[in-house]
Amino acid sequence: MRGLIVMMLAFLVGALSVSELAAGPEWGRSDGEVKVFGAGLTGEETMLVSTLLADPDAYVGKTVRVSGIAVGVCAHRGCWVNIASDVEGDVVRVKVTDGEIVFPPEIMGDVITAEGVWTANKLDLETTKQVCSHKASEEGKPFDPDSVTECMTLYQITGTGAVVQPAPPAKENSD
Amino acid sequence: MKKFRAVCRWLHRELGYLTVGLTLVYAISGLAVNHAHHWDANYQRTRTVEHIEAPGNGPTPEVTQVVLERLDLSEPVKNTWRAGDDQLQVFLEGAKLTVDLSTGEVVREGFEERPWLYEMNFMHLNTGKGVWTVIADAYAAILIVLAGSGIFLVKGRKGLVGRGGVLMILGILLPIIYALLM
Repeated sequence: MRGLIVMMLAFLVGALSVSELAAGPEWGRSDGEVKVFGAGLTGEETMLVSTLLADPDAYVGKTVRVSGIAVGVCAHRGCWVNIASDVEGDVVRVKVTDGEIVFPPEIMGDVITAEGVWTANKLDLETTKQVCSHKASEEGKPFDPDSVTECMTLYQITGTGAVVQPAPPAKENSD
Repeated sequence: MKKFRAVCRWLHRELGYLTVGLTLVYAISGLAVNHAHHWDANYQRTRTVEHIEAPGNGPTPEVTQVVLERLDLSEPVKNTWRAGDDQLQVFLEGAKLTVDLSTGEVVREGFEERPWLYEMNFMHLNTGKGVWTVIADAYAAILIVLAGSGIFLVKGRKGLVGRGGVLMILGILLPIIYALLM
């Protein structure tokens, strides 16, 4: 009986030790008012979203870091965040692996700096129509599938980490 | 064998009591997140529509000021963003307002953590990682002990050699068959 108990305890201790070693970075851990997601930020320099979007193919496969207001978050799993560009109306999406990083809706309106690999997904025509249909439905606009005749390339950052901090008190966004 | 069965009963009883709370957390959250495609397990979401006098689509600083004045919000504004010629978004704690600058329509999308369930999901999905990884691993190890010790709790017709054994085989076959059919 004692042997069995010792064995069970050893198993538990083993599991604990392994988990200690495997413990990854905490989600949304706070450092004062700053929240860190995933691996946080490394040494990359922050670039303007507009620079990235001006020549998207030039950065495919490269690690990039951008910063801006978090203006949209995946409502289902928090698996993406849209970051506002310095050019009015434009956004860049940071997509993360479901469950690895979870962006909560509370970060909308805060300033987020995110890092990851810039990726291009070339869609076929059918998928392009589905994406356009979904977007139109989200915006409450009518959609005609026949109006889509060209395939789309979706660019996004495959995110590895991000830092979120409260927006400065100014209410207006920059032009 | 008698002594072994006694140890199993002891382990099953003690660890069973110890993990009632955790089991409920994982079970309740399991039901909630299993249906994440049907509902938002973490947040209560609301959507309301109201109207203000149409601010028009002038330059962003002026339009923003007009919108904020006409909204006359009681809560502090976190930020604003001009999403397009006709659209300004206003971010508040727990809500996003999308203002149609041409029509004055204001769509307020609110979100609020579901009490208890948010925390349970946070634990179940190990969103916080860190120390909870240790607790979750320990709980998983205890579940293995509970499953193992549970097999030997009862002897005879209702135990492993009887109905208990049949039920156990069924329970083992279920995931195996599913895995083969996947």
